[in-house]
Amino acid sequence: MNISSYIYGTSFYHRFDVRPKLFFTFLFSALSFALSSYISVALVFLIPIAIMILSVGGKETWRCYSRLIPLFLIMILFIPLQNRDGNPLLVIHGFTIITAEGLWSVMKIISRLGGISGVLMLLLLTERNEDIIKGLRAFHLPYNAALAASMILRYIPYLGYLFSEIRASMSLRLEEGKRGYPVLPSITALVIAAIKMIPDTASALEERGFGRVKPAKDAIPHPSGYLIQWLFGAIIPLSLFLVR
Amino acid sequence: MQSFQDLMLKADISFSYPDGTRIFDHLSFTADEGEHLLILSEPGSGKSTLSRLLAGALPGYTGGNLDGYAEFDGKDILSLPPYERMEIIGRVSQNTDEMLLFSSVEEEISFPLMNLGLETAEKDRRIADCLELFGLEKYRKVSTAELSGGEKRRLMLSILFAVDPCVYILDEAFDELSPYWRKKLREILSGLDRTVIVLGSHMLSEYDGVFSRMLSIENGKAVQYVPVKDSYTPLEMKTGNSVLKAENIEIERIHRSSGSSFGLSVPSFEMGEGECITLLGDNGSGKSSFSRVLSGLLKEKSGRVLINGKELSQKERRHSVAYLMQNPYEELFLPTVLDELNSTGADSSRIDYVLSLFSLERDAYVQELSYGKAKMLQAAVFFLLGRRFAIFDEMDSALSSVDFHRVLSCYLDNGTAVLVITHDMSVASMLPGRKLMIEGGVLDEH
Repeated sequence: MNISSYIYGTSFYHRFDVRPKLFFTFLFSALSFALSSYISVALVFLIPIAIMILSVGGKETWRCYSRLIPLFLIMILFIPLQNRDGNPLLVIHGFTIITAEGLWSVMKIISRLGGISGVLMLLLLTERNEDIIKGLRAFHLPYNAALAASMILRYIPYLGYLFSEIRASMSLRLEEGKRGYPVLPSITALVIAAIKMIPDTASALEERGFGRVKPAKDAIPHPSGYLIQWLFGAIIPLSLFLVR
Repeated sequence: MQSFQDLMLKADISFSYPDGTRIFDHLSFTADEGEHLLILSEPGSGKSTLSRLLAGALPGYTGGNLDGYAEFDGKDILSLPPYERMEIIGRVSQNTDEMLLFSSVEEEISFPLMNLGLETAEKDRRIADCLELFGLEKYRKVSTAELSGGEKRRLMLSILFAVDPCVYILDEAFDELSPYWRKKLREILSGLDRTVIVLGSHMLSEYDGVFSRMLSIENGKAVQYVPVKDSYTPLEMKTGNSVLKAENIEIERIHRSSGSSFGLSVPSFEMGEGECITLLGDNGSGKSSFSRVLSGLLKEKSGRVLINGKELSQKERRHSVAYLMQNPYEELFLPTVLDELNSTGADSSRIDYVLSLFSLERDAYVQELSYGKAKMLQAAVFFLLGRRFAIFDEMDSALSSVDFHRVLSCYLDNGTAVLVITHDMSVASMLPGRKLMIEGGVLDEH
């Protein structure tokens, strides 16, 4: 799983200490479930995009979010099944396609998915794996749990990377004049690779001594502006409650 | 022959894979303290399985039936969990990608050292020493995913040397290294007082004078290696009319994780149908990047690629140029050999022909193939696709000389133009056609 989403940079979010960054990530993700006003739900979606553009640029932001578009589309397709007895917005031949409540419900889900994925991607784009582990340990997480958490965080982006590799590889086998890639074999291949990766990773970790000792916790010095970073990490998510 | 003081490793191993295939039947060997041993045998004979068994990666999570012992200093290491063996035996895996887990070069080396319980100062010293030894200092903060195949190999060597176990196992570790690094590794091993076991599929000139004994694996048993003079029919190029051209190509690759970048210029490249061209160059010089541009997997910064004067888009190149990647597992994903071959759309009679031509088993599971066999399958897949142009990215590594010659000959006899990327100068000298070289960021005639 030799994939790193980290992108070298000197943006304000790169310079953030990993501890307030982790705090912001988890608080923002948790609070996104508690918000209910239209504007706050929109902000949950837009804030990570704005920070990402400032941190790694528009091209990289698009690259990250474009992977979520298929999921958003699937959710939109499910709108007709949501809140069918609500206030109808679109009715065709007497059949209610969209209700106001159904639309609102799907928008909230999309916003949360985009927002949570966005802050997690931001964390991985601006923080090295070893620093994430150090940060998690600063919150008194045992080393094994911190290592596992950092690997789980990278697992889904890795699958995305793997799928693009599989697609590219499959596209080399297409007949002349054909476009795209064979979807079903590519998904089958991804599932096989994803399953095989779990024992391979466990085995590689053990071979490198995982479980042998209890590693000591590394002290992380406080950078300048540390307190302000914590305030940012707390105020941004909490202030969404004030938006009506 | 050099004599050694103490017996260090004594093994007698029998092993069957979970499907019942018996790979070792009382495979016995010994290695003395400080002895350097070379095990040379065909792909699929069990070299990687042996290294995995000794290091503890097998049976592990994969399963299989293991009998016998591997005694180190009077203790059977096969009964120890893998993490307890790391100070006794360490290995460089043939497939480096399966061993890389973290997001930077430094972190990869630091992880096992941390598990040895080393103090920070000692850990830092070992990391710095090994990065310097294998020329990776500038990649310290770089993501391992951004390294070339040879650089990944040097990283695996750095990890092994940083841990410094009593027995070093190097599974095809010379392969994918440039001639400079092969020579360097030879020098390092020659001066190393640890027990070293090198596993290889074919003889390399760099092995000369490094080893006190040479073994082979035949029918699941270790036997004395007997050199065989391979005889080949001369490779012939069948020229055709199509021409693949690349003009004024500029490639820029940025290491996203460190902000550093490298560039490659190809002022002019031309390959005629049926031609064989050899491409040489150091690790990380851009050979694979250029191959990816030609095959449409990577977008060039500027320039164009043409076939018979017609400029090809990135997607069109994918249909015209076969790219056999350095790591075969990067392009083999389907469950069985037959699934892979069927994915080419070839009919069953042609698939049967190719199975026999490339010595493949129809129902074998791809993920259980040895690295060498996976390369044969990769070659078989692209052979069935019948592209007019093919790129062999270090296809000779992990294959026996006979197998590599056979694969290349199949393609050339078919009239396919082949760009062969290799680090093995004896292979390069054997090949017909022009030789190209990447040096100082420019691809040119050698």
